[in-house]
Amino acid sequence: MTTLTTRRRLVIGGAALTATALALTGCGRSADSPDSAPKATSSVGGDPATGNITIWAMGTEGENLPKLTKEFEQANPGVKVTVTPIPWDAAHNKFTTAITAQSLPDAAMVGTTWMGEFADLGALDPTPTGIDTSGFFPGALDTTKVGGTSYGVPWYVETRVVFYRKDLAAKAGITTPPTDWDGLKSMAKAMQDKAGAKYGINLQPGGTGSWQTVMPFAWSAGASITSDDDKQFTLDTPEVQEGLKYYQSFFTDKVAGTDLPPNQTEAQFVSGQVPMFISGPWMVGSIAKLGGEKMKQNIGVFQLPKNKSATSFVGGSNFVVFKGGKNKDSAWKLVKWLSDAKTQASWFKLSTDLPAVKAAWDDPSIASDPLLPVFGKQLDDAKAPPAIVNWEQVATAFDTEVEKMAKSGQSPADTAKAIQTKASSIGTGS
Amino acid sequence: MSSATLKGPATPVAGPAPKPRPPTKRSGAVGRQTAAAWILTLPFAVLFLAFTAGPVLGSLGMSFTDLKQRDLRTPFAVNGVGFDNYVKALSDETFRKAAFNTAYFVVIGVPLTLIMALAAAVLLDKGVKKFQSLFRVGYYLPVVTSIVAVAVIWRFVLAPDSGLLNTVLGWVGIDGPNWLASKTWAMPSLIMMAVWRNFGSAMIIFLAGLQGILHTVEEAGQLDGASAWQRFRYLIVPLLRPTILFTSVTTGIGYLQFFEEPFVMTQGGPLNSTISVSMYTYQQFGFGNYSLAASMSYILFVVIAVMTFIQFRLLREK
Repeated sequence: MTTLTTRRRLVIGGAALTATALALTGCGRSADSPDSAPKATSSVGGDPATGNITIWAMGTEGENLPKLTKEFEQANPGVKVTVTPIPWDAAHNKFTTAITAQSLPDAAMVGTTWMGEFADLGALDPTPTGIDTSGFFPGALDTTKVGGTSYGVPWYVETRVVFYRKDLAAKAGITTPPTDWDGLKSMAKAMQDKAGAKYGINLQPGGTGSWQTVMPFAWSAGASITSDDDKQFTLDTPEVQEGLKYYQSFFTDKVAGTDLPPNQTEAQFVSGQVPMFISGPWMVGSIAKLGGEKMKQNIGVFQLPKNKSATSFVGGSNFVVFKGGKNKDSAWKLVKWLSDAKTQASWFKLSTDLPAVKAAWDDPSIASDPLLPVFGKQLDDAKAPPAIVNWEQVATAFDTEVEKMAKSGQSPADTAKAIQTKASSIGTGS
Repeated sequence: MSSATLKGPATPVAGPAPKPRPPTKRSGAVGRQTAAAWILTLPFAVLFLAFTAGPVLGSLGMSFTDLKQRDLRTPFAVNGVGFDNYVKALSDETFRKAAFNTAYFVVIGVPLTLIMALAAAVLLDKGVKKFQSLFRVGYYLPVVTSIVAVAVIWRFVLAPDSGLLNTVLGWVGIDGPNWLASKTWAMPSLIMMAVWRNFGSAMIIFLAGLQGILHTVEEAGQLDGASAWQRFRYLIVPLLRPTILFTSVTTGIGYLQFFEEPFVMTQGGPLNSTISVSMYTYQQFGFGNYSLAASMSYILFVVIAVMTFIQFRLLREK
């Protein structure tokens, strides 16, 4: 008896569900063109900004930004800027939810790899005329462009260079930093043979974000992630394979290790176990924190070695204005002010975030630093992945294949092929 | 009384409840009672429909569409795609790897957890009278500890060079592996951690089951000359059958939804050797592939339903 009624209930439930599914099938997707290629209509005038401007910013930037916007408020007496700091790990969700619910602030700091996705969701306001973009590093400026339209401006940048222990390099008999691929390899070997290091260089054997270290080598060999129109992935080219092959050779020659515990780069650098790695400017601070000021004297940096080019990765954050914002006009005025070289230099002093505007690097606080100018030079040859909606997903597949290549000896050709196959099945999203 | 229990069927834990007497009050009072019952259940019913049943059915419907994050602005303008998402999920290499890992975890983890739990419960019931509550708390403590705190401790335990486990292994001349970075050992490490963390809750239930068994049953076995092992095997275990069913079903469901351990310890690595179905589903939600992720969670749902059905079949009372 009971089984009968349950069965009947299941049948009825199933029927209802099928009906729902059919109803959903019935209504097709509306014409799939979220206002394609919007034109920059407004322009930023010279008159002072007014009203309330609301901003979201992540991490320490969110905490420090109010100090900077106070200056803006002083220059524009009618304006009030409210900054809401949000934690990095909650930010992406908060943005997508807010975009769906149409409850966005006027402007926000946005991670460079999110630009494609947010522009695709129709949330970003195109950069108006009147904001001079010629002063930015070209690689950083590229991150604001989605499908030929520019949204927002680069706010701060970071790029990756090679870090090394000066004292151990001297011990290994290296006086001038290498400039080509062979040079980097033999320097790492010398660190092992003559300076007593366990491994010459610390390279990520796959795992989250390892594509950021691998891609520069492929770029330097002349590779590109997508075709020129950003529609097709080109990750199976001989150039990508060449980059992968060079990367893998560090592991097969045992110059880099796959058995090091992750997130110990600083500790291994300070102990001399692994005296070289490739990373960004924040490492200077975290090494000094671990090893003290004396260790800081021993940090050396040089630009990525050259193949066809010596291209590094450029990251950082952009500043955008949202299409649905209530005070867009004044928000763009704030953005213009933020991308002024003088503002950028004072932001560096507040936050140690590297300026996206080239002219700000002439400020003595940066120009006289022993390490920072190297980053500045590297930024002239640095790239970011194109603004693809599905990039995070492609990057995850990329990381997995790099791990297979580094740890289980998958050949560079197979790796490139697997990345390309996965990337194509995920699609660029446009 | 005692003789009746001894001769009766082996179901002393939950005998049939006496039938309630039929209501003798007038129908008006019954009607009022019914109305009151409806009013009292209404808040729960509304909340349940709005926040549990609705989303569950909604996600089932969603799994038959091509809804992605960008479609959220126009959620009713998506296309129905039939079983495409299910086909896509089942033919996805990583999903299959995740399914294998989850099965591995369940097949090894659940029996280990139950054996540990039963052993601990028997020891607490019989052996250690003096510090019983202390041990009970000790074994149960990992269950209530936050997984994040547990993860930090276990990372110290499993650390390759200076870790506790490898240090101990070193004393007996074994060169321990880099547990969490090894394709072979990452999963056993997580199973070890999960068993340690979860056996306490099954143990508490076993302990309650053991204490519900009348001592006269064991005494009778003793009089008949059964050894301790025989008493355990032929008296205690059959009498515990309902308890074993309950713990194996709840532990099984929990382990099929294996998520936290790889999420905090390995992120599914190395080489996807610890990625689980729940974790992969979570990842797909994060990428905005909502309909695909929904179909994955329904595949897991069906597997859980089938597993539970099988357990009921195998372990129910005959």
